[in-house]
Amino acid sequence: MLGKTRRLNILPIALFFAFAVYMMPGLAGDAFAKEAFAEQAFAEQAFAKEVMAADDDAEGEGEPEIEWSQDVFYKDFEGNPLKGPVSGAPAPELGENDYNNYEFAPSRIILWMANQQHLYFGSFVLAVPIFCMLIEFVGIRSRESDPVMAKKYDMLAHDLMKVSLTAYSWTAILGGILLFTFITLFPGFFKYMATIFRPVMHVYALMFLAESGVLYVYYYGWDKMNDGGFLKWVHCSISVLLNLIGTVLMYLANSWATFMQAPGGIDEQGRFLGNIWHVIHSTLWNPVGVHRILGNIVFGGGIVGAYAAYHYLTARDEETKAHYDWVCYVAMFICIFGLIPLPFAGYWLMKEVYAFRQQMGITLMGGIMAWLFIIQAVMIGLLFFAANSYLHNSMSRVQGSQRYMKYCKYMVLLLIVCFTMWMTPHTIVMTPAELKEMGGAQHPIIGHFGVMSAKNTAVNLMIVTTILCFLLYQRANKKITVPWATAGNCWITAIFVGAALNIIFLGVYGYFLPANQRVGLSVPQVTTTLTTLFAGTAINISMFKDSESMGDIKWGTQSKVGTYAIFLLAISFTWLMGLMGYIRSAVRLFWHVTEVLRDNSPDAYTLTIGEAGKMLTFNTLFVWVQFVVVFWVASLSAKPAAAKAPDAVPVPAQQQ
Amino acid sequence: MNKSFLSLILAVAGWAVFHYGLLPIFTPKVAGWIFNPYVYFLIFCAYLIIVNVGMRLNPPMALKAFYVWMLGYYFYDAILTPHIPWTLFITYMMLWSIGTFLYISQDPTTFREFRAPIVKTIVGEYKLARIVVFTLLPVLVGFATWNTLYPSFAEPVELRTVHPAPPSTTKVHGKTYKLEEIGNPFRTDEQDNYKDSFPFLDKTEYMKNVTEGGTVFFENCHYCHGDQLNGLGMFSHAFNPTPANFIDPGTIAMLQESFLFWRVSKGGPGLPNESTPWSSAMPPWEEHLTTDEIWKVILFEYWYTGWHPRTFDTEGSTAE
Repeated sequence: MLGKTRRLNILPIALFFAFAVYMMPGLAGDAFAKEAFAEQAFAEQAFAKEVMAADDDAEGEGEPEIEWSQDVFYKDFEGNPLKGPVSGAPAPELGENDYNNYEFAPSRIILWMANQQHLYFGSFVLAVPIFCMLIEFVGIRSRESDPVMAKKYDMLAHDLMKVSLTAYSWTAILGGILLFTFITLFPGFFKYMATIFRPVMHVYALMFLAESGVLYVYYYGWDKMNDGGFLKWVHCSISVLLNLIGTVLMYLANSWATFMQAPGGIDEQGRFLGNIWHVIHSTLWNPVGVHRILGNIVFGGGIVGAYAAYHYLTARDEETKAHYDWVCYVAMFICIFGLIPLPFAGYWLMKEVYAFRQQMGITLMGGIMAWLFIIQAVMIGLLFFAANSYLHNSMSRVQGSQRYMKYCKYMVLLLIVCFTMWMTPHTIVMTPAELKEMGGAQHPIIGHFGVMSAKNTAVNLMIVTTILCFLLYQRANKKITVPWATAGNCWITAIFVGAALNIIFLGVYGYFLPANQRVGLSVPQVTTTLTTLFAGTAINISMFKDSESMGDIKWGTQSKVGTYAIFLLAISFTWLMGLMGYIRSAVRLFWHVTEVLRDNSPDAYTLTIGEAGKMLTFNTLFVWVQFVVVFWVASLSAKPAAAKAPDAVPVPAQQQ
Repeated sequence: MNKSFLSLILAVAGWAVFHYGLLPIFTPKVAGWIFNPYVYFLIFCAYLIIVNVGMRLNPPMALKAFYVWMLGYYFYDAILTPHIPWTLFITYMMLWSIGTFLYISQDPTTFREFRAPIVKTIVGEYKLARIVVFTLLPVLVGFATWNTLYPSFAEPVELRTVHPAPPSTTKVHGKTYKLEEIGNPFRTDEQDNYKDSFPFLDKTEYMKNVTEGGTVFFENCHYCHGDQLNGLGMFSHAFNPTPANFIDPGTIAMLQESFLFWRVSKGGPGLPNESTPWSSAMPPWEEHLTTDEIWKVILFEYWYTGWHPRTFDTEGSTAE
């Protein structure tokens, strides 16, 4: 039993560390970057003064050789624009000849499709190695205590990698298509971007080479390095390297998009000011990076979950059903783990967008894009519903869960109430007669739900509810025997009740504060939620020590509703990813690079909500067709003998 | 008597008594802490629970789901006042329906229970129910078709954009202003901290400017925006949409003063191309007021409503 308890701790702890490692660049990046910038800014200013002095001395002796210009974004200590040596040509004024098009579709639509498909696949191939790293690590760690489960973990990781390998080639092909689409349809724009990012693009290509090399060694070396000892650890370490390279790749590619949205390192004319780090590390770089890592994890988890759910529903024998039911669980566990912090990363990103340009924030939240955000709210609600529905249904196949099942309906009620608050728009679509009946544009009761104080409160409560649901799921089949069980339960109750009260208090308090301070309240709200997540999980797991099992999880008996919830989650998330990508990109309106390079193409208009919705749906369907093909291609290779479901211990490590 | 049937009779009869007997009592002209429709709704919910639990009626899952769904419908349709617009009502009911589905599908047992009467009706075990359902279904479809095709003359709904995105610069009275950088020249302190820091900041000068701004407001703006700044001025009902309500936490409280400066100066004609057509009747006040008067009016609006203009942390844009 003790051994089981130890194994239980492995997956959450591994996830926690992996999460911490991936958040580090984002959270610490600013601090490190600022220190580095401080020195650099001093050096640049000193250099600038020397050059100016030299210019003054040389006055009358001819034109100065170096022209200095002001950065559009970066400022020095005194708040004045940072100066840098002009090192590039100004942004061109694009004309008719800078855009090409085909007859059958607008260039922008073609580019959107190419970009979105590449991003979907890129997201998947970056996410799968993260899973494989974690699953392989858990397999190695549980080798001694439970060799059968260890083998299952190892085989699962290997199978996922096989799919990823096919998807990797596919991603590269889609990347090529995207590149050619840029070059052929938007040559003027791409020339400018290539001039600015020239070194980054070469480094990117080289990193891609490194990624491929490491990926092939990792996959093809799997069996050879599976000696159960030192080589296996080396193999697992290669997956860490693979993920690091993948993350760098993604961050480099992100820099192009974030530069287009919120440029830095150039002057008002779009001339490069000589510091490539300034261009890469523009204000949205870190939040976009963190947001994408988390999004990739959820997306990858959703796809793997849907893959397993399909096999679960079509399985003909109990053994296969049990296996894929378990795979569904692992995928959903990872998926929900990424889903919980995802809204916080989104808030951070939006805060940075607002801080960069007020009009961009207004266009997003209160202007032309606001209705897309309402749709986004619906989709996020669906994700939480799907996740909770899966957990509720999963609980029912765990013996002993009846103790907790009775609370499910209250959690559903709380979720619905919060979600109602979460998606109540500030501006309501209504007829003039309805407007007059309400007595004004805002409803006296629900009008209060239209602002961020209410929405932050709602989303935090929804997350806390999901966490509670997960904790109950974890302890569903356990009889707690630790002597401090009562105290532990009291602590968990106090943490959750306290968190809910604190979140509600901060939400209400926000109505009495100025907007800039109100925005700041989201930080303690998020901290409260994360504290609940970590402290609640830690206490919960600690209470499982020497716990008695009330029965095994009956793998292979998951209800159909719970399984369909996985499909709902995967499809909704795919659509949501497309939607948010479109919003983030379309907020530039008629700019290729905000306020620097104007989009003078015939496509420089904002699509109607209906048209955008059609495109998003098409992209979602198209990518899922491709995923089906990729999974089919991956299954063409000789199928390994299915891991035999263990008879004695059919419960995965983290569930005991 | 069948317990499920009894439960249904008690629910319907209870609702009739509550709705026609109690609800008028709980909806006085001025709602109090006790006598308001929300307390009434809680009492009605309590009645339903007490009757079913107290009498051990234990209604089947399908009936429970029906109660839950109807409670949501009743709340949004009759309790929540003033009545919410149709689009929002549909949205809320969609959410409530999802919630009801989550409730019935929370585990395979409850879902099976819920499905049982439906399956029995379809396969013919409940003969009478099957006859009723399959007779009513075509009638219902026919009615829905008729209802959809029947021409209606309702005013169209508006998908309105509230906050237009401002430009980065604006030119007022011949001077170009960068909206990201300017603030109100008459604001003594960004957050009005003078209130708490007496005697370090004198508010006399500030109040003088506020008063002047108020004078301008009542001479020019209150006809539409209202003497309580709530968007309900004497002309407001002639406009669609109604003029901005400054008391609402989602209007000036969310915006920088520079946004208001641009919006007041340029009015409806100065709105940007995106999100057109706009429905703003506000004149470009730069043609009637001086720059200082515009800033003072803005100062007054914040002072009166108690909001503070939005400011942003500029830390992210420094390269220190």
